[in-house]
Amino acid sequence: MIFNTFDYYFFFLIPAALAFKLSPLPWRPWVIVLSACFFYVYFSLLGFGGVVGAFCLSIFLWESIFSRLYRPGAAICFIGVVQSVIFLAIFKYWNYLTGLAWSATSANPWHWSGAFLPLGISFFTFEFIHYAVDRYRGKTSAGAVKEYLAFILFFPTLVAGPIKRYEDFLPKLRAAEASWLDLQTGFTRILVGLVKKFAVADLMTAFTNHLNAADIAIADRRVLPLWLFAYGIKIYFDFAGYSDIAIGSARVFGIVVPENFDWPYMRSNIADFWRNWHISLSTWLFDYVFIPLGGSRVARLRNYSNLIVTMFISGVWHGAGTNFIVWGLWHGMLLTGNRVWRDLRGARQVSTVGRLIGWAITFTTVNLGWAFFCMDLPTARFFFQRLLIG
Amino acid sequence: MNTILWWKQVLDFFGGAADSPPEDSPQWFLNPVVRGLWWGILLFLVILFSGQTSKFIYIDF
Repeated sequence: MIFNTFDYYFFFLIPAALAFKLSPLPWRPWVIVLSACFFYVYFSLLGFGGVVGAFCLSIFLWESIFSRLYRPGAAICFIGVVQSVIFLAIFKYWNYLTGLAWSATSANPWHWSGAFLPLGISFFTFEFIHYAVDRYRGKTSAGAVKEYLAFILFFPTLVAGPIKRYEDFLPKLRAAEASWLDLQTGFTRILVGLVKKFAVADLMTAFTNHLNAADIAIADRRVLPLWLFAYGIKIYFDFAGYSDIAIGSARVFGIVVPENFDWPYMRSNIADFWRNWHISLSTWLFDYVFIPLGGSRVARLRNYSNLIVTMFISGVWHGAGTNFIVWGLWHGMLLTGNRVWRDLRGARQVSTVGRLIGWAITFTTVNLGWAFFCMDLPTARFFFQRLLIG
Repeated sequence: MNTILWWKQVLDFFGGAADSPPEDSPQWFLNPVVRGLWWGILLFLVILFSGQTSKFIYIDF
């Protein structure tokens, strides 16, 4: 919900953007912080952990205080990264990790029955880590507390990205002045995002609802790929629609935030697909996981394992379930396959036919991978069993 | 390939992902009446298909 509610536009986006525009420059970060606090409490009370969820706003306050200690080369930055990961692990993976030791939930003495996810935790964790690491590397300035709070609490991108970078956001925040072009582009983007969500993604639900063991068991085999393809359409238009609304909302403030999608399904290889699918996540994983692991400037085998480890982490981040790990590994293997192919083939130009074949392979393999994303592992296995064997 | 790129840039412009259309595009792309009509169509589609109240996949996942 949130972006497809009237409350978001009439209680938060429009009043906050107006207050931001009318405020003197030094007050503007506080306008963002104040409106974001109301936003966080309001939507937490409506369904993201209730009162306890609303109290998770204190995570931001703690982060804003703790991050003042970061200095280039200081070990405290490392502690900042660890505590961000611990926050995420507790809220997102507690029941999954403790449940690994017990087969039934009722037998798990550590089971947290009231578990909930604080609003946006999967995304703001990335921004916390990015800031700690970049402060350590001396790549970003500290900025004022109000500016860092505005960065981590900026509500158009707080819930599900795009994942921002502080050194990119800070100058935009300081110089933000919404022009008529910003407003018309922003509102166009929001409307297009809503159409993607309502008129395409939600319509696909009629097909994707069948992706369960009972329906798969009785379905005609020929319809199974169509259901999975419908999920591929749904997840793209759902998340691209969400991203359009987030980017458009930020633009109404006069702030340009990173893009998340650039026609990913039109790409002719898996590496190119990932450069254009959930771009802000892909670049984050590249900068903060793949490169620190050694990137591609290492021996070939090490390079392949770096790709698999990076996508494994991407899978783990996407959800607390073994199916997400398999989904991540699937993409890790595809990226490794692509890398092997490029190593073997060299830098020769790809023909149009080659590009078409590459597109078909990429599109098919990405869509097959969604089976692990939208179904738990036994159901996904059953899906492929029915699809391939009968 | 250039035609495909041109159409991509046009769609990006009407989708709000680009501030301006490709250089050789017709002038009426920038007409405020066209912009208004486009917003009308989008708003009509939003109203037509709204009310399904499904959550976004990537929120609270």
